[in-house]
Amino acid sequence: MSRCCGKCWHSLEYPCRNYIRCRTEGPLCHDDQRCRELRSGRARYIKEGPNGYRIKVPLASCSIAAGAKEVLSAVKEVVNSLGIPSDAVKTVGCTGLCYLDPWLELKAPGMPAALYGNVKPAEVEGILKKYFIENDVSGAYAISERTGKAKGEGDVPTLSELDVWRLQVRYVSRNCGVINPESIEDYVAYGGYRGLDRALRMSPEEVIEEVKKSGLRGRGGAGFPTWLKWRICRNQPSKEKYVIVNADEGDPGAFMNRLLAESDPHRVLEGLIIAGYAVGATKGFIFVRAEKPLMAERLQKAVEDARKHGILGRNILGRGFDFDVEVILSAGAFVCGEETALIAAIEGRATPRQRPPYPAVVGLWGKPTVINNVETLAHVATLMAEGWESFAAYGTERSKGTKMFCVTGAVRRTGAYEVPIGTTLRTLVERIAGGVKEGRKLKAVQIGGPSGGCVPAHLLDTPIDYESLRDAGAIMGSGGIVVMDDTACMVDVARYFTSFIVAESCGKCFPCRIGTKILYDTLTRITEGKGTLEDLEILESVGRVVRDASLCALGGTAPNPVLSTLRHFRDEYLAHIIDKKCPAGVCTKLLKYRIDPGKCVGCGTCAKHCPAGAISKDEGTGKYVIDQEKCVKCGTCVTICPVNAVMKEV
Amino acid sequence: MVRVIVNGKEVHVPEGETILAALKKAGDAVPTLCFFGHMYREASCRMCLVELSNGKLVPACAYPVSDGLEVRTDTPRVREARRTVVEFILSIHRIRCWSCPRKGGHCELLKLATAYWVEGIPVCSSCPLYGKDCLVVKGEPCLGPVTLAGCGDPCPSNGSPCIGCRGPVTRRDVLEAAAQFYVSNGVELRDVLEVTSMFWEGLPNYNALKASLEEAFRKALGGGAD
Amino acid sequence: MAQLLKLVPKEATPGTLAHDVAVKYGRERRHLIRMLQEIQSTYGYLPQEALRVIANELKVPLTEVLTVATFYHQFRLEKPGEFIVMLCMGTACHLRGNAANYEFLRTYLGIKPGKSTTDDGVFSVEKARCFGCCSLAPVVMVVSRDGSYRRLYGGVTPAKLRRIVAEHRAKLAKKR
Repeated sequence: MSRCCGKCWHSLEYPCRNYIRCRTEGPLCHDDQRCRELRSGRARYIKEGPNGYRIKVPLASCSIAAGAKEVLSAVKEVVNSLGIPSDAVKTVGCTGLCYLDPWLELKAPGMPAALYGNVKPAEVEGILKKYFIENDVSGAYAISERTGKAKGEGDVPTLSELDVWRLQVRYVSRNCGVINPESIEDYVAYGGYRGLDRALRMSPEEVIEEVKKSGLRGRGGAGFPTWLKWRICRNQPSKEKYVIVNADEGDPGAFMNRLLAESDPHRVLEGLIIAGYAVGATKGFIFVRAEKPLMAERLQKAVEDARKHGILGRNILGRGFDFDVEVILSAGAFVCGEETALIAAIEGRATPRQRPPYPAVVGLWGKPTVINNVETLAHVATLMAEGWESFAAYGTERSKGTKMFCVTGAVRRTGAYEVPIGTTLRTLVERIAGGVKEGRKLKAVQIGGPSGGCVPAHLLDTPIDYESLRDAGAIMGSGGIVVMDDTACMVDVARYFTSFIVAESCGKCFPCRIGTKILYDTLTRITEGKGTLEDLEILESVGRVVRDASLCALGGTAPNPVLSTLRHFRDEYLAHIIDKKCPAGVCTKLLKYRIDPGKCVGCGTCAKHCPAGAISKDEGTGKYVIDQEKCVKCGTCVTICPVNAVMKEV
Repeated sequence: MVRVIVNGKEVHVPEGETILAALKKAGDAVPTLCFFGHMYREASCRMCLVELSNGKLVPACAYPVSDGLEVRTDTPRVREARRTVVEFILSIHRIRCWSCPRKGGHCELLKLATAYWVEGIPVCSSCPLYGKDCLVVKGEPCLGPVTLAGCGDPCPSNGSPCIGCRGPVTRRDVLEAAAQFYVSNGVELRDVLEVTSMFWEGLPNYNALKASLEEAFRKALGGGAD
Repeated sequence: MAQLLKLVPKEATPGTLAHDVAVKYGRERRHLIRMLQEIQSTYGYLPQEALRVIANELKVPLTEVLTVATFYHQFRLEKPGEFIVMLCMGTACHLRGNAANYEFLRTYLGIKPGKSTTDDGVFSVEKARCFGCCSLAPVVMVVSRDGSYRRLYGGVTPAKLRRIVAEHRAKLAKKR
């Protein structure tokens, strides 16, 4: 990122307009063969590694939790003894193929790049030896291409042959798992900040027009046209305006924003700066939740590095545009995903307020404010660099572009995948994520988190777009998809989501504060076998009012899990109410617990921990037995038995 | 000036005003609880909900008017929403009407409960207003504390003990507090039950109600919980 | 005044820290959450004394400070244990059994109902919202009270929890 020679005059005081382009195409202000070679050599080094050697190790929250740091240490230990330069080791972000964590990607000149999944530190030496010394790729999960030169190539698929990769369109996630997220130089070498460069050469109105032509809709869940929000804010007369990135990502089961921010933070920052330019703001905020500390750290580092190189601050890229960014740690509240509540949190308060007026008109400290989701801004940065047509080439008539989805739960390949909007749920869940595990049946797909709904298996061919999902009783939400198989109880799922909402309700309005509690208490009664048919009516009528009368979208969408499961899985509710049974074997109060004498080893752990004193030793057999009369069905014995001898019976 | 159509009637209000101002102009009132003019307009009680032509329910006290806005104040959905909100409020409200300073017609919740047929608040609210002595305090089994309010309580306010013709309150917490009130004034369970048999014996839930009253008195006599 | 406090070799009490933090943020009401975050990063929770001083400095009623302190998850009003075990309550973690893990851990550590910390003050068990590591469900994060240590564990079972507890008890013994 530095000058190639004394002839370059870029500095923070006198920023060069072509600073970004010069990094990859330069030098531009003067013509010198040696300088050109220096630049292209540097770019080659970043992309291909020293002499074409590369070992990529992912360091993101999920891979670190899976042991990536230990794998990295193991790699560093053996690297030199194998004759590989130590600067070939590069830490990158997460590709989204989380089921492979921790993975390794190896590259030697002349060999295809090879991806190894679920690597243990003890296996590292063997894997590196096989690839670098023996030129053998067998044992790899996938390779980049077929060269015909490496051993074992025939047995390993290329990434493009695997559905999990082939069916994705990695528009905003292109750098994830490829670049070092803590290096601004990497980002620029791979084409970063070109979007900002291009935007600053246009007028703000032209930028808004470009976003309008692309058809980008907010990726946070509501799907509001991004250009319209920007234009409304731009048209406000105030001199002070703000743009905020909502990096709170409160939906449980959604981690696309975390993944993007940890693996490619500069892309998000670039989008934020472009947004600031388009609406005329001088200050931006990144609102991150404290529960995702690595995300906050990487974003903070990106901000600091951008400032150091004149991409943030005064007179950005010499265009006379002043803009700076502050990272704010949220103190943890789901309602902060709601725009007015997020603003309240920055202002030091805690509750949302009635809209209209919308934040674009009256927002933070009363000034016009635009709030955009992390993924939305990542799309902005990408489409400004590549042109609106590149974005609009994908998607449906009413919703253009791609979207990232996190597929978790009962699938074989949990991860974050980016697909064009309009792709069917079946493609995403069965072909990309591999469907449910052997021996299990797909029951439902939950989309949209606690504000969303459950789509039953027979509606799996629903295309993923805002309108179709709404018709099926769910919402697009931020993109968290949880797959449920026959081991999930839909009443328990509804109760789980409702408990989440009850805990997160800010308490300001009656329908949400009290109505959701009534829904929760009713659902609890049903899961304990104390429900009546009248309870179903209560759920529906209370649910309707909570939906229609709440002040903000948290209450407004709170009944969705209940109402959608009632609509599609009414038989399960009836089983709980009429038969007093939980068909999936989940609701503990409806289960009978028995100790299998064949497995019991007589250790007595269960009896020691039984809160009701219902377990005792049969002196004759030496095994432990549960007294069904005393049992309170807490399920502690099931989880605490060291040999899994306690069985649940429906 | 902006044109707003309230329940089919056209009114004009200054720009920047809320729907509430338009409703006032049209003479169609909606209940409000948390609205306090310029001091507090947080739209948190949700009682003033009105229905827009696109089906959305919005609070009249905070939603700004726009030209051609159509609002309806009395659709089935709005009524259901308001009724349920009153139910929500009453579900967490400690009902002690016989000792509440707001009795005698000053209670907003009583007005709303009556208007939307929500059960809970008992009759006991106007004897002191008319300067009559409380008959329970005199030891008489007046059914005021356990009867649904809404009739304007003509009997007790004229010195005649309430005989419960409007129907019983069935909420356990209200019955328990009423039992405490009776017990502390020396009114006995069997006298209360005798009066209830006049109008309530034919009701399908009478046995359950009797059992609840017995339980409530048992608790009150045993120094039971409030 | 703040400089004077540094010259005097005295342990900062929650009250004095709260005063310094309030001054640092210019006693501005809008920085309340930041102030509380700083206080919590020192003590691992928000001592009553600190809250009272903050309310005083900002010239707002104590209840207003409590409104914010009790609403946001990050804030604790009671002193936690040396190590805080946070179990993710996300959807994937719930489906894969973290609810049972939570009950198990509380029972195993002998935490009394209504409390969240062991009697010996070593462990606290809390529910966390979502760490975003759903592929490793069920997930548990252990942090130290002063915030200097954090470690994420995936695929957690009761057996693994037993090991994690033992591991951290040993860490504590070594420190002492």
